Amino acid sequence: MIESEFAQSAVRLILLALVILLIPASYRVVVGPSLPDRLSAVDLITTLLVGIIVLLALVEETPVVVDMAIALAAFAFIGTITIARYISEGRYF
Amino acid sequence: MLLETLGVAALGFGAFFCAIGVLGVIRMPDTLTRLHASGKVATLGLFGLLLGGALLMPSTALRLLVLGLFVLLTSPVATHAIAASVHRRREIAQQLDDERQPGDDDDSAPFVADVTAVLSRSRLDEIVEALERTQQRRDHTDGQ
Repeated sequence: MIESEFAQSAVRLILLALVILLIPASYRVVVGPSLPDRLSAVDLITTLLVGIIVLLALVEETPVVVDMAIALAAFAFIGTITIARYISEGRYF
Repeated sequence: MLLETLGVAALGFGAFFCAIGVLGVIRMPDTLTRLHASGKVATLGLFGLLLGGALLMPSTALRLLVLGLFVLLTSPVATHAIAASVHRRREIAQQLDDERQPGDDDDSAPFVADVTAVLSRSRLDEIVEALERTQQRRDHTDGQ
């Protein structure tokens, strides 16, 4: 458990910074000129979300929340592979 | 106390590299260079955050280790798939550029629509071939 006041406020501050980082990352999803640009930006956003969920587990002090991050990473991997294959081959499987 | 200081330092390291990676994704000029920048977030940024979490709360260390191993395995594969799709689209665009006659039309617009058309055309060809093969097989069995 996190005891000192300093560490608790630092974790909250870094969580806030990561949430703010989602905004410029979604800029590339909206603007990105080509399809692979948008896909890589969505991949970046899910990576940031995994980090946010880990920090959320630290704030809430419940280790079980990290399981959500593992599940999100797994589904994001499957989705990225599938859409990359759709972009390059014109089909999913 | 020392453990907490180290953990906060690792979290700051991870957040710093996340910010660097997002900045690179916005500012880089090319798709492949942008992929390079987003790879930094997946390795240095996320692993800094995971290390900081394990130091601050040792009861999550095992789960964070599993998550780190999973990301270590899958993140390069996903990035490689995206890079391969970029390469394939460029190849098709290059082919289209070679086929295009100089006098056809002079607008050198990006080939995004053309590349998608080629991909769907090749898919359509496959479907037509499969249908023809089924038809031939049916004719063959009818003839017997």
